Amino acid sequence: MSDAIVARTGARVLDESAPPRRWSPTRLAGTIVLGAWAGLFWFLWLTGREAFYLSTRTEWVVPVAAALLTAATIGRLASAKVTTPKPIAARELWIMGLMVVPVVLVVFSHPATLGSFSAGKRAGFSGTSVAASASDIGSGELTLIDVAAGETSPDGERALAKRAGEQVDFVGFVSIRDDTPADEFLLARYVVTCCVADATIAEVRVVNVTPGQFSNEDWVRVRGTIFPLGREVIVDASDVGAVDRPDHPYLTP
Amino acid sequence: MDQLTAPVTTAGPRRVADRRTMVGVAAMLVAVALIVSVGDPGRIAWVRTFFVIFGSLLIQALPFVMLGAFAAALVEVFVPIGVFEKLGALPRPLQLPAAALAGLAFPICECGSVPVARRLMQRGLMPSAAVTFMLAAPVLNPVVIASTYVAFRGRSTLWTMVGGRFLLGMLVAIAVGWVVGNRSKEQLLKPNPEEEHEDLLELGRPEARWRRFFVHLGNDFLFMGRYLLLGATIAAAIQTFLPTSLLTGVAARPVISVLTMMALAAALSLCSESDAFVAASFVQFGPAAQLGFLVFGPMVDMKLVALYAGTFRRPFARTVVVVSAVATLVGALWVGVAFG
Repeated sequence: MSDAIVARTGARVLDESAPPRRWSPTRLAGTIVLGAWAGLFWFLWLTGREAFYLSTRTEWVVPVAAALLTAATIGRLASAKVTTPKPIAARELWIMGLMVVPVVLVVFSHPATLGSFSAGKRAGFSGTSVAASASDIGSGELTLIDVAAGETSPDGERALAKRAGEQVDFVGFVSIRDDTPADEFLLARYVVTCCVADATIAEVRVVNVTPGQFSNEDWVRVRGTIFPLGREVIVDASDVGAVDRPDHPYLTP
Repeated sequence: MDQLTAPVTTAGPRRVADRRTMVGVAAMLVAVALIVSVGDPGRIAWVRTFFVIFGSLLIQALPFVMLGAFAAALVEVFVPIGVFEKLGALPRPLQLPAAALAGLAFPICECGSVPVARRLMQRGLMPSAAVTFMLAAPVLNPVVIASTYVAFRGRSTLWTMVGGRFLLGMLVAIAVGWVVGNRSKEQLLKPNPEEEHEDLLELGRPEARWRRFFVHLGNDFLFMGRYLLLGATIAAAIQTFLPTSLLTGVAARPVISVLTMMALAAALSLCSESDAFVAASFVQFGPAAQLGFLVFGPMVDMKLVALYAGTFRRPFARTVVVVSAVATLVGALWVGVAFG
């Protein structure tokens, strides 16, 4: 008799202390959104596509975010069963769906970088203080960053002027504006400090190129002689050839 | 907009999601995937530019929102409530500068500071101090100071910019905190709909700490994330179409140049850790205008306005914008007169 009572009482105690848990739709939906974003950051990291959005300085955020979001996803999934689940509102579910749209956009769209459309809308790079002091510009191999920095300060301008007639070797994309003569183009490259939103532009005018050989957005390598003329820099091209878009399309100061 | 700023209460019946809603959401995502992969709208230059800028803003900012949510969840679950009540008992003239200087120890950008401030308020910190911290942290943190130094290194205005940003940022944050005064958290904060429907009690007892931690972490991220998405959309559209050359015509006019650079900072929505490099590129503008850009941007921009609108009640969000703008303008003009 006593056995029966103990058994029944024990069962009741168990029932009260651990009522069945069921999936909470709100928490599950949140888990899916977190998981989608975690997946995006892993995708960016594994494919190297983070270079299309961030500078080399800030690429570290991608694996960190991937790890944190994965942990958050697992943690939320583990706590997604509750004793009294409440239904999710339709509006809330639509908002959750909209939060996944950017993930779909990035994963399914063709890899793209900032191109010539923005070239005329961006401020020029001003980096004498970042990567290229006047003494840096005055010696060593000239980079597009040195050239762009030299265009925006009197000291840099003077240092760059002393390099007139030297050979340069630049990689960038072609930017052709309405007023660009047929045998010229602008060779441009974005300088990104943090993410593409802060991109500024470094560009030189390339002359003596075959008309019609290249069009907007083509990535090219230009070798030639540099002639800084005040705030404009001209490269007299001796060799212009198409190249693949670099793995890191933006320059980091 | 009204939906964003009106107090979110449970008034009115909520339509519950059913199978049709789920199918609708899934169909929307499949349609977006098909359009971007098969239709390739990125062939159109402005669409591609918009996608890249929009994606970069989110990819850059969301990890910091996550870090902020992480810190906020730690505060919520592991810091005893009495800690903030003790801090709240300090006199306000002491509390506000202390809250502003706390930003020095918190290297996080503006997106991360909003969830932390919200959680600090909920845990009993005086709202004026939490707001001061929220606005000061993105300007005063060591990474931002270092990046400002690097961006202006070699220029005669170096210390005006580094020191001016630090001091003016702190003063503006304190000014907003002062205006907030003794208002309660209920007067400032909007309820989080994610949390409204969360029942963190099981049979009247709180859930286990680790469960509460992950629930708060997820809720804060999802709550902030939706407003960040909205802000990033607006900021990307502005960045896609606004030519910066339009601004050069006003560079020589004292008040207008400062206002223009402040408006530009709000429109571009840059991370405070990188905005100094962009400010430095506007060589035609004087130190006052550049300082306006550096101080106002981390406090008010498109992403933040969306985050504020979701987090705070409308009058308070308006107060932050107006007081920050006026205090920054006055401070930047003074710096322009004194050091320009």
